[in-house]
Amino acid sequence: MSDFIFNYIPVFDLFLLHLGFAFSQYIALRSGVFSLATAAFAGIGAYTAGILSVKLGLPSPVGIAAGVVLGTAAALFLSLPLSKLRGVYQAIATVAFVQIVVSLNIYLEGLTGGAMGLNGIPHTVGTPVLFVAAAGVAYMMWAINRTRLGRTFDVIREDEAVAVSLGVPMARYQTLGFALSGGIAGLFGGLEAHHTYALEPNQFGFTFLIAILSYVVLGGRSSVLGPIVGTAVLIALPEIARPLDENRVLVYGLLLILVINFLPRGIADTAIDRLRLRRVARSGSAPAKAGKAVET
Amino acid sequence: MIAQQLLNGLIVGGVYALFALGFTLVFGIQKILNLAHGAIFTVGAFVSWYVVSLGLPLLLGILASIVVCGLLSMLVEFVCFSRLRKTGDEEFGAIISSIGAGLVIMTVVQRLSNTRVLRFPFETFPVRIYEFAGLRITLLQLFMVGCAALLVLALYILIYRTSFGRRIRAVTDNERASTLVAINPNATYRQVYFISGALAGVAGVLVGLAFSSIHFAMGEPYLLFAFVIVILGGLGSILGATIAALLFGMMQTLTIAFLPSGLTNTIIFLALFLILMVRPNGLFGKEAAGALRGRR
Amino acid sequence: MTELVLENVGKTFGGVVASENVNIRVPAGRITGLIGPNGAGKTTIVNMITGMLALSSGRITFGDTDLTTMMPHRIAEAGLARTFQNIRLLKDASILENVMIGFHMAERSTLLSALFRLPGAAKETRDTRAAAMALLDRFGMTHLRDHPAGSLSYGHQRRVEMMRALAADPQLLLLDEPVAGMNEAESAELARIFRELTDEGRAILLIEHDMRFVTDLCHHVYVLDGGKVISEGRPADVLADPVVVTAYLGESIDAA
Repeated sequence: MSDFIFNYIPVFDLFLLHLGFAFSQYIALRSGVFSLATAAFAGIGAYTAGILSVKLGLPSPVGIAAGVVLGTAAALFLSLPLSKLRGVYQAIATVAFVQIVVSLNIYLEGLTGGAMGLNGIPHTVGTPVLFVAAAGVAYMMWAINRTRLGRTFDVIREDEAVAVSLGVPMARYQTLGFALSGGIAGLFGGLEAHHTYALEPNQFGFTFLIAILSYVVLGGRSSVLGPIVGTAVLIALPEIARPLDENRVLVYGLLLILVINFLPRGIADTAIDRLRLRRVARSGSAPAKAGKAVET
Repeated sequence: MIAQQLLNGLIVGGVYALFALGFTLVFGIQKILNLAHGAIFTVGAFVSWYVVSLGLPLLLGILASIVVCGLLSMLVEFVCFSRLRKTGDEEFGAIISSIGAGLVIMTVVQRLSNTRVLRFPFETFPVRIYEFAGLRITLLQLFMVGCAALLVLALYILIYRTSFGRRIRAVTDNERASTLVAINPNATYRQVYFISGALAGVAGVLVGLAFSSIHFAMGEPYLLFAFVIVILGGLGSILGATIAALLFGMMQTLTIAFLPSGLTNTIIFLALFLILMVRPNGLFGKEAAGALRGRR
Repeated sequence: MTELVLENVGKTFGGVVASENVNIRVPAGRITGLIGPNGAGKTTIVNMITGMLALSSGRITFGDTDLTTMMPHRIAEAGLARTFQNIRLLKDASILENVMIGFHMAERSTLLSALFRLPGAAKETRDTRAAAMALLDRFGMTHLRDHPAGSLSYGHQRRVEMMRALAADPQLLLLDEPVAGMNEAESAELARIFRELTDEGRAILLIEHDMRFVTDLCHHVYVLDGGKVISEGRPADVLADPVVVTAYLGESIDAA
């Protein structure tokens, strides 16, 4: 039994790390920002922590904290121009940002180790730290959903015209969501650096971006359970069946197509909706759909 | 030296134009970013390589690439987008769905090619170099320019001089209005997707010939470059994409020739980012990107 | 008393005139009607009042506040709330949640307390819920509170929009075709609520197609056609105005 647990600790660690990144992606989408910049913030956080530790010999908590600060700062800096853009334009701008960070990490060889990567980062982060960090962020996301912030994010994402008609200063809320996204990704980037000894610039590129996005799309973009379920499923799948591991990319691709077409709200959100509908139905008062709810 | 680089850039730019035109055409009619476009491009290179390796002439290979990539592009539309357009969630959904399709196509190509890097047989294209006013141009480069010019010209005639082109432009302007004048938008969409895929396919062959490095992931950088080009030219604009592709090709060869190697991508994506901030609708665009944010 | 005043408001799109020299007053405590055939420019006026469209000329004031160049969310803060012609609710969220969203401006918990769900934020959510329940009660919809908004009838959805708008305790309510798709009894019930609201001192601007509803309810009516006010006055007088009759020719006057 203990053998069993021991074998799965690396997978669990991976799950916790990626869950953090998934939350970063989640909170950006939740606030209605079509951002794919989580990979860039993660890269910034990871390299900040790594460089401060390897080059300056600073203790890892300092480096990780600096990663959070820089991740947040980068997001705040980006949010200004980003608030002028919408939809696919935001997506493209953030992809460009991801590419900028990747190519700078390759170019600034003296600092980052270039294409060879940054090696010899002290391994100071283990499962307990990752668990506390992921649980803390999950709690924060849950708290947001429970207060006015969550309600405001909902209306911004669903309908901007309604949001402003209710007096919501959209730009401010989206900046907030984006800054949280940057801070969380920065934190888990730093944790990843101290969890894996070495960093490699392409690690936080397009492939990373797609994986993180897949977690949130698969799990769901509304409830806190969404990123948790999505990350768990996609991390666990290859472990359950070896053939799935060999075809990991193929499975990701097929899942993305199927989920967005047939379960567009994701596993968790759809399940929650179903449960709620059932509860409402059981409580008696059937919806008064008198056959006239015709959309114009 | 500079003149030579500009010429080289112009030639590469012509190939970029083929790739970016297909990408922007689809965005023009459906406001969809087809992120599987890079994978379709890759397939184009592989199909031609396969035909040539069977001992058949290159021209036959190009023809095969056109047909296969055109059909593949239609298949992507059918599988990934047709359903999403009915539910009206295509902006976010189509990006996810086409990322999925790209991953699937890429994996299949990877499997079939055993992750090898292929090149066209040496004798596929006779190596001949011409000198003109101090500038050197190879026969292959002439061929590339010829192909690109021919196809771009054909596309222009198709769009601006035929009834089919009028249909495309009508659908681009307004889907509802076009159905009123008895245009079946779905048929038009399918045809546009075929053209889009065919152009990507030819671009794939030309890139495969020029850089003799055909592998399953070759489409990814081109997809990223296409972002830059279509934003520079204004998303959805055909003329804009053509000019932007040529400019981009020249800019790229110049940065490669005169700047430290690692910096090229940083500069390219920084430029993309800045263009989005300053002129989100491209250098030649008129209106502001996206819908309202406030008083406009 | 705060009054909404449109002074010589005009809007052109490119070269096309959508509104011209529009003068409208919406006084507190009264129901003012804005009617006109399809394409008369009602939506343009609504969009200019709510800040979604910039004015080409003229100005809009609300009491002492100049709304002319204000951002939409600031206009909402100034005390204007609205409903939408094509119902815009969060379809998957429950009725109660939809109404709670309307309390955005009443809620003041800080970011920090929201992020960590400190007692203040939790209490605020409880208060908001209670206030939303009170509104549901007023509109007779308490029993439907957990239903997803998208599952309700048209009439019920319109009422949810009204509750959401009222949550901010606005001085002026802008109602875009509030009784479309409702039956006789439902619209009579709404009429009663509207009168109550104006008795509380609020102003209501009613954009309507249903002429009978307008005649019964409004104190003052403006008729819009071709982007201009072609007639105004008491409902009975306006409807008898030959200019209005001509403008509505070819369209059924009684849409109910």
